[in-house]
Amino acid sequence: MMGTRFSDRGRRNRSTDRARGWIVVLVLVVLEFYVRPSFAVGRGLPDFLLLALLIVSMRSRPSTAAVAGLVVGFIVDVLTPASFGAGMIAHVLVGWAVASGRAVFFADNLLVNAGFFFLGTWIRNVLLVAVSGASMAELAVEATLWAPIQGLSTTLAGLILVVLFRDWLVVRVLK
Amino acid sequence: MRDLAGREDTRGNLLILVGCLAVALAGRAMPETWAQGLAAGIRRTALRPVVLLAEKGAANNASRFAIEGIQRQRDSLALLVQAGAVTRRENENLRELIQLRHRLTQPYIAAEVLHRSVPTDSRTLLIGAGAMDGVRTFDPVVSPEGLLGYVWYVGPRASTVMTWSHPEFRASAVTADGRVLGMVLAGIAPEGRRVTLELTGVALRDSLPIGTEVFTAGLGGVYPRGVPIGRVMSIGNDPLGYERVYRIAPFANPGASSHVLVLTEPRDSSYLALPVEPDSIALPTSTVRP
Repeated sequence: MMGTRFSDRGRRNRSTDRARGWIVVLVLVVLEFYVRPSFAVGRGLPDFLLLALLIVSMRSRPSTAAVAGLVVGFIVDVLTPASFGAGMIAHVLVGWAVASGRAVFFADNLLVNAGFFFLGTWIRNVLLVAVSGASMAELAVEATLWAPIQGLSTTLAGLILVVLFRDWLVVRVLK
Repeated sequence: MRDLAGREDTRGNLLILVGCLAVALAGRAMPETWAQGLAAGIRRTALRPVVLLAEKGAANNASRFAIEGIQRQRDSLALLVQAGAVTRRENENLRELIQLRHRLTQPYIAAEVLHRSVPTDSRTLLIGAGAMDGVRTFDPVVSPEGLLGYVWYVGPRASTVMTWSHPEFRASAVTADGRVLGMVLAGIAPEGRRVTLELTGVALRDSLPIGTEVFTAGLGGVYPRGVPIGRVMSIGNDPLGYERVYRIAPFANPGASSHVLVLTEPRDSSYLALPVEPDSIALPTSTVRP
């Protein structure tokens, strides 16, 4: 009887968490496609779509994160078709790596979140440029200049979001 | 993914990763035309709301932040138009005197650029005008500063533009005096910090001083003659020593362009009247031999 009540509550909690997660993703999509282009254009600005992927990956299994990465990468490739497929490869690998890294680090720590956001953005950018067939000089510029700048801006945006939605984005340990 | 005992199924996770990577690699290996067609199809169906949202964002940005710049440009243009009125009238009179046909005006379509925050954004631009607006493949795309590129793929309401920073970009170029011809393509600046252009194919006997402005030559039928490309900033190296290579600082920045102009037909505004076809020439009867 008790077990059934606990399992019902757990299921309700999980579905509420899922709904909240979708709301956060929706907010990030609006930020990415409407709010950011309304205020600024240029390189080094926070990538809210990548942030959505990182937040989802930190709270899901590696397989789910890889599929989420594939979807986000596909959207990136469709909207920026400089080299189709490069976005999918980069995002799948980043999603997978972040979800796997969750097993090593405690994902509720703000500092760990910041590390994931920064490294995720940096690795995504470097991978994207490398797979797009850029020259070594372009890759070096991306790795040392633009990727760290975008990493910092995305980290800052991510931390603000995590603080604002702290109760919604809490990582629950499954028993 | 968990097995029946509730443990993490590493093999299942790995299988899904491999599957996702296989799909991604298949997308990377897909022929360019297929990939462009697929992307355009998704943009006008599943991602249509996102594209509309981005268009609204770009329009907001222009109305909020670019309005002062647009007003300044409008004032400068008004002054130029006023100053050029007399010259234009003189030009028309002279054209009539030598029976030269009127200069053709260059029709264009204005479009908003929908930027993305990924490193490869400036190589290709997504613009909010397509076949329904009259845009066609290979139409040149310019900004008020100069040449940006050409239309690579046309969808019904949006198009993809290949900019000068794309590795496959090429355009024939000429100096203002028409003395030196060459081909411009994307290259890396010596300090390695940014993508610039290289003017290649310049004969060894020709030399250009730093600061020389370079324009489109109009050869090849894609770009009209006289669109500003950039300014010579340094001399590059041809490893074989067969030609001179110059580094060009482009006037237009694809990553910062919020609005572009797509030039439509006719592409050349200065060509002369075509010669009369030989069959239609009526020879005098005295010259016709039996």
